[in-house]
Amino acid sequence: MWPAAALAAALLAPSAAPAGAGPHPPDRSYYVYVCAESADEVAVVRFGPGGLEVVRTVGVGSRPAETEGPHGIAVAPDGRHWYVSIAHGSPFGSVHKYAAGADAWVGAATVGMFPATLDVAASTGLLYVSNFDLHGPLEPRGVSVVETSTMTEVARIATGLRPHGGRLGRDETRFYSVNVMGSELVEADALAFEVSRRLALGDGVRPSWVTRPTRAGRVFVTGNNVARVFEVDLERWRVVRTFATGAGPYNAAVTPDEATLVVTYRDSAAVGFLDLASGRERARVRTTRAFPHGVAATPDGAYAFVSVEGVGGEPGAVEVYDVASARRVGEVDVGRQASGIAFWKMVERDGG
Amino acid sequence: MPINRSAWLVLALACAPLAAQLPDAPPAGELVVEVEPDALTLPVGGARRLTATVRRADGTVVEDAAVVFYSRARRSVSVTRRGDVQALRPGEFTLVALVPADPEDARRRPRSIARAEVRVTVPRPPVDRVRFTAAPPKFYVGTHPRLAAEVVDTSGAVRRDVAVEYASADPATAAVDRRGVLSLFRPGAVELSVRAEDAADTMTIEVEASPVASLTLQASAESVRTGDVVVFTAVARDARGLALRGVPVLFAVAGETAPDIIAAGAAALVTSEGRFVAERSGAYTVVATAGSHTARRTVRVRPRDVRREVQVVGRGPVLDRHTSDLWVWEAADGRDYALTGTWGADGVTCVWDVTDPSDIRKVREVQVDARTVNDVKVSEEGDVAVISREGASDRRNGIVILGVGNPREGVPVLAEYTDMLTGGVHNLFIAEGHVFALSAARRYDVISIADPAAPRRVGQFELDTPGHSVHDVWVSDGVAFSSNWADGVVAVDVGGGGRGGTPAQPVELGRYAYPSGWNHAAFPYRSASTGKLYVFAGDESFAPDGRLHSGRGGVPTVAAGWIHVIDWSDWDRPREVARYQVPEAGSHNLWVEDDTLYVGYYNGGLRVVDVSGELLGDLYRQGREIARFLPFDPDGFIPNAPFVWGPQPFKGHVFFSDWNTGLWAVRLLPAERPAPVVGEPQ
Repeated sequence: MWPAAALAAALLAPSAAPAGAGPHPPDRSYYVYVCAESADEVAVVRFGPGGLEVVRTVGVGSRPAETEGPHGIAVAPDGRHWYVSIAHGSPFGSVHKYAAGADAWVGAATVGMFPATLDVAASTGLLYVSNFDLHGPLEPRGVSVVETSTMTEVARIATGLRPHGGRLGRDETRFYSVNVMGSELVEADALAFEVSRRLALGDGVRPSWVTRPTRAGRVFVTGNNVARVFEVDLERWRVVRTFATGAGPYNAAVTPDEATLVVTYRDSAAVGFLDLASGRERARVRTTRAFPHGVAATPDGAYAFVSVEGVGGEPGAVEVYDVASARRVGEVDVGRQASGIAFWKMVERDGG
Repeated sequence: MPINRSAWLVLALACAPLAAQLPDAPPAGELVVEVEPDALTLPVGGARRLTATVRRADGTVVEDAAVVFYSRARRSVSVTRRGDVQALRPGEFTLVALVPADPEDARRRPRSIARAEVRVTVPRPPVDRVRFTAAPPKFYVGTHPRLAAEVVDTSGAVRRDVAVEYASADPATAAVDRRGVLSLFRPGAVELSVRAEDAADTMTIEVEASPVASLTLQASAESVRTGDVVVFTAVARDARGLALRGVPVLFAVAGETAPDIIAAGAAALVTSEGRFVAERSGAYTVVATAGSHTARRTVRVRPRDVRREVQVVGRGPVLDRHTSDLWVWEAADGRDYALTGTWGADGVTCVWDVTDPSDIRKVREVQVDARTVNDVKVSEEGDVAVISREGASDRRNGIVILGVGNPREGVPVLAEYTDMLTGGVHNLFIAEGHVFALSAARRYDVISIADPAAPRRVGQFELDTPGHSVHDVWVSDGVAFSSNWADGVVAVDVGGGGRGGTPAQPVELGRYAYPSGWNHAAFPYRSASTGKLYVFAGDESFAPDGRLHSGRGGVPTVAAGWIHVIDWSDWDRPREVARYQVPEAGSHNLWVEDDTLYVGYYNGGLRVVDVSGELLGDLYRQGREIARFLPFDPDGFIPNAPFVWGPQPFKGHVFFSDWNTGLWAVRLLPAERPAPVVGEPQ
């Protein structure tokens, strides 16, 4: 492992594009959905031959005079719908379903307090969302399970203190989530709606995110307050490697080739690119503004889209990074406090 | 095993995990999931196990297939992974059994999920008992008292959905209709019965000859304005001329509106207690009936004629962002100032010098780490302000305490306070050295600012109802009135309620909720003209479909809701007596002073309403509205979209904040001649 200080000095300089970087702008178009938590908006962002642009914004929520806080977003595996968690309600939060493309509201389900990260199972049509309850009493909360065809909460899995990031396993029989204040990774039986295993990550560790498992059965958990990423072997159910990161690792995504872990460093305004073979951070790039939040890798592994919150009235941003070169190749403003981000589709010859 | 074909859903499925488990499973094939039984009827507390069988298209069974069971109403009927069902509450429900598909199936037409639904019927428990309630003390010939009955089922729940049947054993003496209304024809004892399902109750009443020999009707006034309440008192006397108590009297009203008012609709009402109010001018006759005796009196009603024009005196325009709440006060330097917050922006609070309302000047902006400063309040002494934060970049919102004794010299930040307030302080109030600050919409905390630089929590108040949520709090004379959506208005003694409450140990005095669940704000007011304690409770509601865009370039927003007037003169008996409802618009923040109600009525603009005297019925239709003003501005954040947030009368002017245009100062012009009122003779 590289000493963190030396690594930071070496990597925070603007990175040059190495050989192998893709064309910029790309030949095909990539679409993502991104939340603006303090603007009650979801933006459709395209990165294509014409560059990076906001295609449109969709107002979400039902009370125009209250900030309701869209926080997490997920696109259904078939790409036909997207789902957004709305953090604030009276008092409970909710998950809303929209038709992708038309971006028309379809339905909603009331869930727990401050729903955050969500994921949708192709195998069952069930949606899993962590009820973060960021501002509530430090009491155990859980993951809501929502039937997406009717937008009905059908189960709630009691997982622990401040459940946040969560992802389904590859076969979708397990749901992995982290308890920020419980210092643990939790595995739930996604079909029986009950916790099956817990993994303590260390006293005082505040994990904020867990990635979708790799083909080798590994997940990566961000230790938000300890500047670490934990690699967990799901079969052995233990931490097998630890990566040093910049301050505040928050969200993370593994590229499809499982060679790179892209991590947002919320407290140090940077994005880290961790080489999973060597265990080294091969690049760290400053974001254009404070508080990078979410990250979504494209299915072809070429790019990582990063949402950046910003501060106060400053607009949020979506930044696009070429994964191979770890170079930022695009940036566009979106609504205030950009948060959850989800990949939607790739289009080869995009007329739109 | 018999299979109901309606429970079959033939769906394509290729499930890699299943295939891995099942050597003989085809890589792709038609699968169905069958559930036995395919429908259930269970009593409350009853249980049954479902059995699921997964078959291929050829009918062969897929062994050990993974089947997921869940309930679409799990709090009413539960089901375990093994298919064990338990009925918890009555009703009609649906259980689902499905076989997961292959999540990696990326073909052009991936296999669908095999699924079956099971209807579960949980009948309501049978009726356990029915009993007469609230029988009148006396039954007199010629009167029509109404009976009531309570139905309780075997689970102990009071049921209002069960038909009850009333009957009389002697209809010639006392007949009873389906609604329990009696007709009493002659003296004598009669057995009455009520039945609900197999339960029944009886009671014997003694019908007495009416002692009434005469009936007179008194009115508290002969000539009034629309909206004035006239109290009619019916006095029944016996043959000796003595006044009788307990004789049921029925009031009714008939009348004629003024000749120029055509097709006015219902123009007046009289309550069962004899309180009369008219919405339109005219002549109305109130009729009192007691048995065979009637009495009547006619009241003349003239237009209320309170209308006044509004003159814009000055503005503090904010056109580049939304404006939220305001507070106007006289500072220690002797000048008058206003604070306005900003919404969905950059955490700025504007400080205005409004000493000359015709020349409003922005003194300074105070910026904090927030996207919204939703509420701004200033202490009674005028030296400390508290602003609320939402959207802080570190997600620790809380409050910020400012020194505002001399804003021209500076507005220093005295303290930030976020402990247990990180979730955002949507609204707050300052009273007698304490800040009442909402915390994450769940409760309000009481924070001492005796030392403004060192605030400290001394108490808190939170409801215990399921899913409670608080939106606002206002303190008056040591009583905190919080607004709690579906839980309505809650009055809490924090030092002045007479029940031992203090800021550190609040004591609830009472609560009042109404059906819509829209309670958003409340303003307590001791009526100068009647002495009654009225609480004006405002709604907030918007279009239900929830797809509005309020940012720059957005569309004007249409709100809904009204002001509920609650007579809370007795803590134990709050009664909603009147409403102020502007059609096609929605209420927001409000203020009451000198028997005048000021309402920020969102898209309905600023409204000023005469709330003098007793309040009863629909104040809007009674012509009590004094003034209205809609702040149009083509350069507004959303152009020409009035959206008045909140008003405050101050030293002869009315200041108000508008979401899209900022701060306004207006005044009401003197009424020089009878003003036109829509629907009234001109």
